[in-house]
Amino acid sequence: MKRYDLIVVGAGPGGSTAALTAAEAGLKTLLLERSAYPGEKNASGFALSSKAWRDFSFLQEMELPSMRYCRQCVAHFLSPPPEMEERFVVASGPSRRMSYPEARDFFTVGMLRREFDPFLVELAEKAGAELRLNSLVTGLVFEAGRVAGVRLEGGEEYRAPVTIGADGVLSLVARQAGLRDKWKPHEVTSVCIVDFTAPRERMDDVIHEAGFQAYFGPGMGGNFLIAYADGVHLGGPGVTNSLIARAVRKGIKPAKELLETLSAPPVQRLLRALEAEPREWQAHCLTWMDRMPENVCCGGLMLVGDAAGLPEPLYAEGVWQAMYSGRLAAEVAKEALEEGDFSPGFMRSYRERLEESPVGEEFVAGAQLRQLFEMLGDPRVCAELEEMAVDLAVHLLMTGQEPKAEAMGRIFSILAENVPALMSLARVYLPLLLQVSEEKMRFYASLLRGIRNIVENFLSGELGF
Amino acid sequence: MSKKHTIDVDKFSLVKVKPSPRNFIFFREESCDGCGNCALICPMDLWRMRKGRASLLAKYRERCLECGSCYLACEKEAIEFGYPPAGSGVTYERA
Ligand SMILES: Cc1cc2nc3c(=O)[nH]c(=O)nc-3n(C[C@H](O)[C@H](O)[C@H](O)COP(=O)(O)OP(=O)(O)OC[C@H]3O[C@@H](n4cnc5c(N)ncnc54)[C@H](O)[C@@H]3O)c2cc1C
Ligand code: SF4
Ligand code: SF4
Repeated sequence: MKRYDLIVVGAGPGGSTAALTAAEAGLKTLLLERSAYPGEKNASGFALSSKAWRDFSFLQEMELPSMRYCRQCVAHFLSPPPEMEERFVVASGPSRRMSYPEARDFFTVGMLRREFDPFLVELAEKAGAELRLNSLVTGLVFEAGRVAGVRLEGGEEYRAPVTIGADGVLSLVARQAGLRDKWKPHEVTSVCIVDFTAPRERMDDVIHEAGFQAYFGPGMGGNFLIAYADGVHLGGPGVTNSLIARAVRKGIKPAKELLETLSAPPVQRLLRALEAEPREWQAHCLTWMDRMPENVCCGGLMLVGDAAGLPEPLYAEGVWQAMYSGRLAAEVAKEALEEGDFSPGFMRSYRERLEESPVGEEFVAGAQLRQLFEMLGDPRVCAELEEMAVDLAVHLLMTGQEPKAEAMGRIFSILAENVPALMSLARVYLPLLLQVSEEKMRFYASLLRGIRNIVENFLSGELGF
Repeated sequence: MSKKHTIDVDKFSLVKVKPSPRNFIFFREESCDGCGNCALICPMDLWRMRKGRASLLAKYRERCLECGSCYLACEKEAIEFGYPPAGSGVTYERA
């Protein structure tokens, strides 16, 4: 039986970042991964947010063959089946008002996990972490009521005073430690992905830097398209319809919804223009929580990334969260070793620091953020919003068919007719704004509260669609 | 307008699985209430409903993507999920 300072279970982004941080801090670190190579089974989008470049300096040197910068996000709103044509499209570049330079430059970078995961693992190994592939952890070792190590399928045991569970959404470590049984159907989504390859020149001509696209439509969950250097991942449904509780309640088959989106004429035209060829069918689950989970640590153990349920509450982005929590957990592990304290109380400081960190901040107004996406998943609401957007766009800008001043003058009646729709949006947005502004802009807080009171009174009669 | 060729996806031909030498999904038939959640959610259609009960196709070891959706969708605790042993199961070449 071998002894380490720290054992990390799972070499996804969370585990590798934890192992890297720990090894750099001089901890004797073991990183265990069930796959034959890192990333082998980690189906994901995958687009890495610019936040990661802000927070992890080692990404400056990252150059992977599959990388494609996304400097344009596109949302396509389709008409209902069987037509499924584009009714409304919004495209946007990064905003100059973003708070750090990387976010003013790009949204995300699309890439393959089978390149990204090994990149991170290699950094951890270079820093001194010991990697063991083909190592399926099937049990934990307990000592004096604390987690004191892990057991592999073959029975082999490894001991360390601290273990980090970075074993993803189905975390066996979390279950064995008694931190949770399994996610409830309203906490977790089931998403499918089709991988397409396409010639790089076609990608450069047709997609260029519009690397993140989403397809919405009445009844659709919001399917996403992520572009990398020589292909795209079409994934879905988006969080609303892939939420297991909703899927089973509404009889939505996630795989079927994705294939329906694939058959939509605009998607077909894009794929043909790209000369895209389907190469792989993938599926993976993903948590979608409206608040940060409570049970993420106990004596001798911390959970990071998906194992802890950290994907954010709007569209469930999770890799930066996994990396951030991995680094934080490794820092707490180092302190615990210095203090010789591995008690539940000491580990609890991980949960507290996580809550105060930018990862925790992503959960502010989590319930409203989730609600926003859920609204788009409601066929009637989505159809109303879609037609309102079309009316506004046509009458404000694209008025070539009618006398312009007259058409533009219709804006007021369009807005008036859409008061219920706007109110429904306000019902989600105002509490959201309030929660943020209470901390950051105390000056406006009372004003917003006043508006909310008025709106709430106005809406108390279940006004809406 | 000319008829364009449609880009279709035959999901079964697009997965690479090295069959697991042992079982890793365990079905407790006596707990199943026949709700059909597993059959609906499985991205590889590996669950079938027969006579008001679920059943897992025997060839699941050759097709399962280890996503755990069936296990998470079952509210009757009729499905237990582990992973196939190291060196087997699904390989994504373009994850
Ligand atoms: C379809 C889809 C699209 C997504 N798109 C994006 C996106 O565009 N951007 C984004 O930021 N996030 C995205 N996410 C979320 C993101 O993939 C996850 O949040 C992220 O992978 C979490 O990282 P992790 O390290 O916590 O877990 P994982 O990446 O799941 O890594 C866990 C690792 O542990 C290993 N493991 C598991 N169990 C054991 C065991 N018992 N023993 C040994 N090893 C084990 C696994 O093989 C794996 O390597 C997406 C998710 C899905 C499902
Ligand atoms: S989800 Fe569970 S209870 Fe429902 S049919 Fe499947 S096995 Fe039976
Ligand atoms: S783990 Fe996923 S692919 Fe395998 S049987 Fe369950 S739902 Fe189907």
